[in-house]
Amino acid sequence: MDRLKAIADGQTVDSVVHEDVLAAEPVLKIQNFNLFYGRKQALHNITMPIAKGQVTALIGPSGCGKSTLLRSVNRMNDLIDSVRIEGDMILGDDSIFAPGVDVIQLRKRMGMVFQKPNPFPMSIFENVVYPLRIDGERNKAKLMEVCEQSLRGAALWEEVKDRLHESGLGLSGGQQQRLCIARAIASDPEVLLLDEPCSALDPIATGKIEDLIDVLKGNYSILIVTHNMQQASRVSNFTAFMYLGRLVELGLTSTIFTKPRLKETEDYITGRFG
Amino acid sequence: MTSHARSRPTGRNLIAQGEPLVWLTGGMFAIACAMIVSLLGLILYQGLSTLWPRSYVVFALDDGSLASGEWIASQPYRLTTESIAEFPEKTQAKAKELLRGRASVPSEQIYLRTGNYDVGNRHFAYVPVVSVDQIEPQRPEGIWLVERLEWGVLYGFPTEFTSEFTPEMDRNYSIQKALLDQIDRFRPQEESEGLAFDRTLEKLRARMEAEAQSIVEADRSKGSASASRVQKIDEISNAVAISHRKMLNVQRDLEHAKHELGRLDQSVARLRLSVRKAELAENTDLLSRLDEGIELATALGTIEQQWKDIHEGLQLCGNLLTNDPALATVFAEIQKAAKEQEEQEVAPTKESLEAWVRDFTENLPSRSRQAVEKAVEEARVVASKQFSINTEIGRLEWIRGSEQVVFALPILEGTAGDPAEFAGESQTGILSKQDADGKSIYYWRSEPNAAPILLQTKSVATADMVRWFEPNRLSVFGKLGVYGSRWFEFLTGEPREAGVEGGFFPAIWGTVVMTLLMSLAVMPFGVMAALYMREYARPGWVLSLIRISINNLAGVPSIVYGVFGLAFFCYTIGGYIDGGPKKAGFDPWPSSTWFAACAATVIAGTIAFFFAFLGSGSPAHMTKLRKRVASFAGVFWVLSLVGFIALVVKIPFFDGFYQASLPNPTFGKGCLLWASCTLALLTLPVVIVATEEALAAVPNSLREGSYACGAGKWQTLQRIVLPYARPGIITGFILSMARGAGEVAPMMLVGAIPLATELPLDLEFPFFHGSRSFMHLGFQIFSLGFQSQNSEAAKPMVFTATLLLLTIVTFLNIAAIWLRARLRKRFQSSQF
Repeated sequence: MDRLKAIADGQTVDSVVHEDVLAAEPVLKIQNFNLFYGRKQALHNITMPIAKGQVTALIGPSGCGKSTLLRSVNRMNDLIDSVRIEGDMILGDDSIFAPGVDVIQLRKRMGMVFQKPNPFPMSIFENVVYPLRIDGERNKAKLMEVCEQSLRGAALWEEVKDRLHESGLGLSGGQQQRLCIARAIASDPEVLLLDEPCSALDPIATGKIEDLIDVLKGNYSILIVTHNMQQASRVSNFTAFMYLGRLVELGLTSTIFTKPRLKETEDYITGRFG
Repeated sequence: MTSHARSRPTGRNLIAQGEPLVWLTGGMFAIACAMIVSLLGLILYQGLSTLWPRSYVVFALDDGSLASGEWIASQPYRLTTESIAEFPEKTQAKAKELLRGRASVPSEQIYLRTGNYDVGNRHFAYVPVVSVDQIEPQRPEGIWLVERLEWGVLYGFPTEFTSEFTPEMDRNYSIQKALLDQIDRFRPQEESEGLAFDRTLEKLRARMEAEAQSIVEADRSKGSASASRVQKIDEISNAVAISHRKMLNVQRDLEHAKHELGRLDQSVARLRLSVRKAELAENTDLLSRLDEGIELATALGTIEQQWKDIHEGLQLCGNLLTNDPALATVFAEIQKAAKEQEEQEVAPTKESLEAWVRDFTENLPSRSRQAVEKAVEEARVVASKQFSINTEIGRLEWIRGSEQVVFALPILEGTAGDPAEFAGESQTGILSKQDADGKSIYYWRSEPNAAPILLQTKSVATADMVRWFEPNRLSVFGKLGVYGSRWFEFLTGEPREAGVEGGFFPAIWGTVVMTLLMSLAVMPFGVMAALYMREYARPGWVLSLIRISINNLAGVPSIVYGVFGLAFFCYTIGGYIDGGPKKAGFDPWPSSTWFAACAATVIAGTIAFFFAFLGSGSPAHMTKLRKRVASFAGVFWVLSLVGFIALVVKIPFFDGFYQASLPNPTFGKGCLLWASCTLALLTLPVVIVATEEALAAVPNSLREGSYACGAGKWQTLQRIVLPYARPGIITGFILSMARGAGEVAPMMLVGAIPLATELPLDLEFPFFHGSRSFMHLGFQIFSLGFQSQNSEAAKPMVFTATLLLLTIVTFLNIAAIWLRARLRKRFQSSQF
């Protein structure tokens, strides 16, 4: 526990990143990333690669900065005035935080799903094709094709194909969340960001979403924040353990959950603290 | 129910459960309910009952006179020793008996609508019960209630219907007749021709006679109403109905003619305006001398029209003689003589006009010359049209007054009738008798065998009658019919008698148009301001200050808005539109200063744009330097805005759009446009607060979801935020409309008037007349109830107008609630 104590005291602690992770081809590289809310530092010098075509889970106790890190990837934190960042992230070959980056174009390369399902107050069809609509796409056939593809991708097509033009708000919670996933993959993103996508759902809906993530992971690189250890172990290839804004350990999920290099990680996973 | 709840309250749990507080709050609630219900009840009862026809009663008073009218109410009245002094002796005796030495006793008085204002000089009467001779009133069956165009209601017994039809009421015949009256002017000098002329004339007169006969015959065959006199009571009502229908047509023609006359007046005003414009444009002096020319042109136009009438008469008379060739040739000679005379008579006037125009326009620049020439030419045309329309109006007015009904009013004439009449009959009260011709004569007899007293009579033209019925003979359905017809007139008709009677349509229309215009003005401003405040502005003390100020604006007394509207919209902006900066009270800069300021403004704007460009960037990369640069940009934006306003205000090259009609203001006075703007200002806080609340209620998760899809700020606002906030925005907007519709105080200053002859939105080009004053329901309530000369008579209308306004506001509120419920349903997520 010395390491965690040191972190709590504000000392700089190196994170442990397994070689398996470094060996994988990265889609996103987080480089010496610091983030401040006003004077308070929320993320401390985080450096980690996100593997392409794999699922990377972010775990850690509440307030450790998992969601902040996730929201930094598509620069959602820009919406908060007091936020200031240092360091950078690289998506593919492009910097995310370099001055002059077009945030809107950047966000189109990623999809994001939130904690609570947030379908827009419009029809199921319009919900799914929203990313194309804002790009000015008007071709009905194209829109319909993308809609079907995305809904199939989100395993929702069979359930809603007969009521595409009814309100998206009429769906059940699990369906709404899958609708949001369909919306997120409609623009064919490079990275899919899932911010505790199952925390507002019942076990059955959660199961469906987890199955879906399993299916998606070949095609998309997924970064998922979760509070649920079992979920992390079930769905992810890599797991990152964060604590108080620092990355503590990152490695293959199987390794992290069976024989982590750090005792602190093991303690957290086995529920001895946090 | 739990046992705890059932347990008897002790001192301690009385406070714990709050029993006394329940009583207190419940009592307050009951008081509030009672106040609301009594106010609404009063308005509903008074408003709905005003137009209901009541029965007509006649009371005999102690002094031998009559008190009569529609019995509206009995009211409490205090009999005191002082108040009885003015009663007649008999009443005083009765009152003393009631008082029996006490200082005062409660009694009653009867509130009557007397009508017959032109004879009795009052609309209403309060009759103390003590002064009534017989408490049981008479309810004469045959009495009529007549609503008239002038002088209000008349109550009376119809005695006869008279109609004076003369052939001159026919247009062609009247023209021929007018010609015959002056045909001697064309009598040839030569003896033999003179004789032929006389013979022709004789024949013509004979034929005219025959024609007059046939016209009268034709008219008689058209309807029985034209029988010169109808005296049988049963037939009068039929005759009146027929005559009224005929008079409606006459009335319509008359109104059309008068309208036409009004348009001619307007065209004269327009002419003067165009001359004034030319005068201003070329700096000449035209108007001071123009009147001479217009006088000459008017004289010429009138003479020309007179001759046109003569020729038409000759033509018509000639048509009568066509089948006699000899006479026709003589007549052709007459026509020729008339042509010659016309030339002699018209030529000098024409020449003097031409000379005047030549003399006047000789040295004038081209535009002035053209304007004057056109004005004179037009004035001539207008004068001849005016002459012919006036002739026509005279004829129509004559026809209009030709059919009348004579009524016996329940007012004593004072002269006693022949005591022998009704001798031996012991009936008292109102008596009627038919004389030898069948005409009804009405008397009043106070006691059996006393001499009957004649009732006063009054004749009313059927054209003046709007509605008539027999109030004491009406069944419930008949009363409902009258009630409905009165409401229909109230909602769709023009006001009569300065708004005391007739319809409220102009006021309703004015209110609706004004409110709609207001909402058009307030909507974009309010919504956009709220959008900026909620979505774009950086939260901080400045924004808080602005928000507090806006909330406080809602508490500013509305009359202050009226004063502001008058000073700012009417006098400053309106004056600026009318006559440029000078009229609005600004000294324009000299042109060199103005151009310098223009350059400075452009520079400031450019710098602002440059700085804003440099200072922009995402919040994540905002450095201190950039923030400072951005705030500099703000300073320069403000500077360039101030500069722009100064440029507009101080422009030396602009003299207004309506300079020509000054000093009469066009927009520089209270009018519909400024009233709407003032109200828009007044309701702006309501809209801003409602919109802000609606925007704040949009879940942040929706915004984030949209941004995460790669939508920009505006796309998110437009596609997600605004549709979601729409129900709230619309609700606030309709509530503001309801508030605006009921606002009176500012209206008094910025454009509402008690009686407007023109509607602000009508079928006349350009349809919308923003510079017109208008009638407004709320203002009408105020002006009828407290400003009109006869507020007693107007009181019932005040309640009805209040009811109407209340209905409109209620309707708007219900619409708001319905709309909100409907839209909200769309955005409700299902339960899971």
